[in-house]
Amino acid sequence: MNPISQLCPVTDTEAARLVRDDTMAALADDIVRSGMAPYTGAPLPAADGARPANSRRLRRRLLIGVPVAVALAVAGLIATSLGTPGQHLGPVNVGPPKAQAAVLSFTRQDGYIQVIVRNPVADPKRYRAEFAENHLNITLTLVPASPSVVGTLVEESLSAGSGPQITPITAKDRCFTGGGGNVCPVGVRVPVDFHGAATLVFGRAARPGEQYESAGQANGPGEAMYGLHYQGKTVAVVLAMLAKRGFTVPQYRVQRAGQCFMEVRRTVPGNWLVYDATPWAPGQVLLWAATTLPVRMCSGVRISPSPSPSAPAG
Amino acid sequence: MLGYALRRTDNTDDAADVLAETFLTAWRRLDEVPEGDQAKLWLYGTARRLLANHRRGERRRLALADRLRAELALTYRPPDRAADFAEIAAAFRRIPQPDQELLALAGWEELDAGQIAAVVGCSRNAARIRLHRARRRLAAEIGRAMADMSPAGDGITNGDHA
Repeated sequence: MNPISQLCPVTDTEAARLVRDDTMAALADDIVRSGMAPYTGAPLPAADGARPANSRRLRRRLLIGVPVAVALAVAGLIATSLGTPGQHLGPVNVGPPKAQAAVLSFTRQDGYIQVIVRNPVADPKRYRAEFAENHLNITLTLVPASPSVVGTLVEESLSAGSGPQITPITAKDRCFTGGGGNVCPVGVRVPVDFHGAATLVFGRAARPGEQYESAGQANGPGEAMYGLHYQGKTVAVVLAMLAKRGFTVPQYRVQRAGQCFMEVRRTVPGNWLVYDATPWAPGQVLLWAATTLPVRMCSGVRISPSPSPSAPAG
Repeated sequence: MLGYALRRTDNTDDAADVLAETFLTAWRRLDEVPEGDQAKLWLYGTARRLLANHRRGERRRLALADRLRAELALTYRPPDRAADFAEIAAAFRRIPQPDQELLALAGWEELDAGQIAAVVGCSRNAARIRLHRARRRLAAEIGRAMADMSPAGDGITNGDHA
């Protein structure tokens, strides 16, 4: 008998029983939607090449204001709704960021410093300055994010240290996660005696043409397909729905038969069926398509076309 | 992959983070992930590097692992290791970390030398030699700890055919 095997703390079979299938499915979903940088090369040409380029540019220009406006609105909501008695939150900033306005709110309470991002479009240098003023070794970076997750914490890295740790502050209805939830981290609680270093990554509004690094649900509020029932419809129908809103599809993801991973395609036949979508960049959506549905994933998770619970009727 | 992470971390939070980050890395580098059985080895290799970062104190907490973290904290209870294996467990912890990993890949993931080579990024021959040395080091540790007991060292080298 192999003595190393006897030391095995948990077998694969036992581990598989520890987590429910829907938790793993939600994680997979979040990864696909959040880890939005699988291909770092130059953007591929739009799938519907028949559309004149200048027409596409014009439509996109019309959409430029949307994510920024959402970002500012989200920042405002965070600043107002998370305010509790004793907090010193300033006036809500809904216009262009003012140079002198605080970009973070710091509130000391019960041995913690509560940090909320108030202005997700501010210059990162100003975050560093504000953390330094508060004697915190915290780096805050911003990644381009799709509208429904702008202003939320998308990633957190912590340095060594066994002492008190940073914990996220969550808020309801500030964003809509890939798994269909609406409770999202919008800030952090830092113990006053925190001695480690941390990097916080928040979603910010994307600039025109900039690819999202973090994305919410394609049919979440403020997103390209808000209110649309697209799952199970043909690619041609979905493209037409998107075109009405001025959105294009730069790439498709197609699962090859018998393989675990997706294939990237610039075009797919119009009669294929769409089973998922992800915001890709301002004015662009990525579609998952297959010849038949439901699609069987390697993990055993079945993705079937069903209306999203977050999509309103009609 | 969850089993791999749980077997190598002290707490479920770290296992959840490693699992989530492994798959996030895979998704971001989809074009590098090999097909078929090789994909699993690629994932083990990625998880191994992330765990090494964890051990160096570079913990990375991903918001997307929150649900998994919460669920594992409720469901996972580390087993009480049988007293029979306490000495072997202690000896195992005393050998260098790279040796532990080689023996674990053979004993826990049941990989052969060729598969271990793919995970740790060396030739098949090098993996076989390193595995052999790791077994000898473990046997020596056990021998030191159990000098007055049965020759467990022989049992190790004969029993582990990976």
